[in-house]
Amino acid sequence: MQANRRQIFAAFLAAAAARKLTAADGVTIPGKRPLILHNDRPEDLETPVKYLNTWVTPVDAFFVRQHLPRPSAIDPATYRLTINGMVSKESQITLADLQKLPQHTVPATLECTGNGRAFFTPKLPGIQWARGAVGNAEWTGPRLSDVLKLAGVDTAAKFLEIDGADSGVLQTPDFVRCMPMEKAMHPATLLALKMNGETPDIHGFPARLIVPGWDGTSWVKWVIRLTPTAKESGGFFMNPGYRYPKYALPPGSAPRPAELEVIEGMPVKSSLTAPEDQSKIALAPTVIRGFAWAGENAIERVEVSTDGGAKWQNAQLSTQKLPFAWRLFNLNWTPKEPGYYTILSRATDTAGRVQPFVPAWNPSGYLWNGIDKVGVTVEKV
Amino acid sequence: MRTALTLLAFAFAALAADPAVIEKGMKEEQRTCVPCHSLRIIHSNRLSRAGWNKELDKMAGWGTKYSDRDAILEYLVANFGDDKPVSPPELTTDGAAKK
Repeated sequence: MQANRRQIFAAFLAAAAARKLTAADGVTIPGKRPLILHNDRPEDLETPVKYLNTWVTPVDAFFVRQHLPRPSAIDPATYRLTINGMVSKESQITLADLQKLPQHTVPATLECTGNGRAFFTPKLPGIQWARGAVGNAEWTGPRLSDVLKLAGVDTAAKFLEIDGADSGVLQTPDFVRCMPMEKAMHPATLLALKMNGETPDIHGFPARLIVPGWDGTSWVKWVIRLTPTAKESGGFFMNPGYRYPKYALPPGSAPRPAELEVIEGMPVKSSLTAPEDQSKIALAPTVIRGFAWAGENAIERVEVSTDGGAKWQNAQLSTQKLPFAWRLFNLNWTPKEPGYYTILSRATDTAGRVQPFVPAWNPSGYLWNGIDKVGVTVEKV
Repeated sequence: MRTALTLLAFAFAALAADPAVIEKGMKEEQRTCVPCHSLRIIHSNRLSRAGWNKELDKMAGWGTKYSDRDAILEYLVANFGDDKPVSPPELTTDGAAKK
């Protein structure tokens, strides 16, 4: 009986999905303008770079990464955040409790750990993100340290385990992450209740972790449990998931599990947003645009080349030079003659890190930060 | 030895190209993968035979039960192998007005 019900349910799901698939070119994600569709169930949506030309990325253009199906809508009135483990009093925190704490706003760039995976050779399994699994937003909410104080966190706790309300189908592992307590207690680490002043469910609200400068996987959505612990905890999304080789591997080689490390801060990177790759532009003055960010550091400089890297020029940078948040850059350019041009951008951060020509290939396709490259054909008007 | 290898490769290619096996694999994909996620996530990847094999193992570890694992592997390699061109990106329709 049980098996029969399960079979019927599976058949129902398959039929529902098949219906959705037949409407392949009609997928609409409520609240989102047209985005690059990598997957619709769960939603994996990439931002076309033309929407990344403003310092704050609008919510309706912001990329979406779901590991697991979105949890059913959370009622703000019944939402509870459990704090347990190494605390003096286990607590059930309401949204109103979180709203009563001092609210802080942190502008920070959120980038999927696998952004740029499509550029690696040989190809790797996973979402084939190009440039647009990244965005910059203003996140508002209480500091995570203030939230933890509500339950009296033990000063001997070394790590914090964080669980989101999303859960896997069949035996797909639950999405649980863990970070060192030092980062959890950092004043810029928030439990955000707002994103650019809004509360979009698809981005993990009513409460979403903001871990400035760290990879997107650390920014747990729909946070429902915080557990201070003595030791780093596991789970698929900590190990083997979201790890990076300590020593670079030859492209195409198998991972060496013992030499994989948890990803924390993000590398220095720039991406070009205009002109569009493989577009045609008129032989006239134009503006080369893009954005650059550097994990926990700020951007010091972005250089642009219009001749495939023979000569480089410093680009103009937007004025706010902050850790965690991107800077926009632009360079006025008047091509001298028609033809095909290769435009490159290369960022340097405040710690002196420089974007490389060739980022290290790694078995999961994480942290692509190669010098960006677009090709453009300049034509006589 | 070389002839044997060549024959083996031929036999393999013939098996891979068998439309009945591929069709069976496609049905198997619908039955086993769709309950958990839509197929775009699969079809946007381009992997070698070894790569697809590893993905099938990963999904089996997460609870997927295949009735014909070989067929689904042949179907994936034939359609989404690393020698196949990448499909152009697809955009969602505008949902910004709907919340």
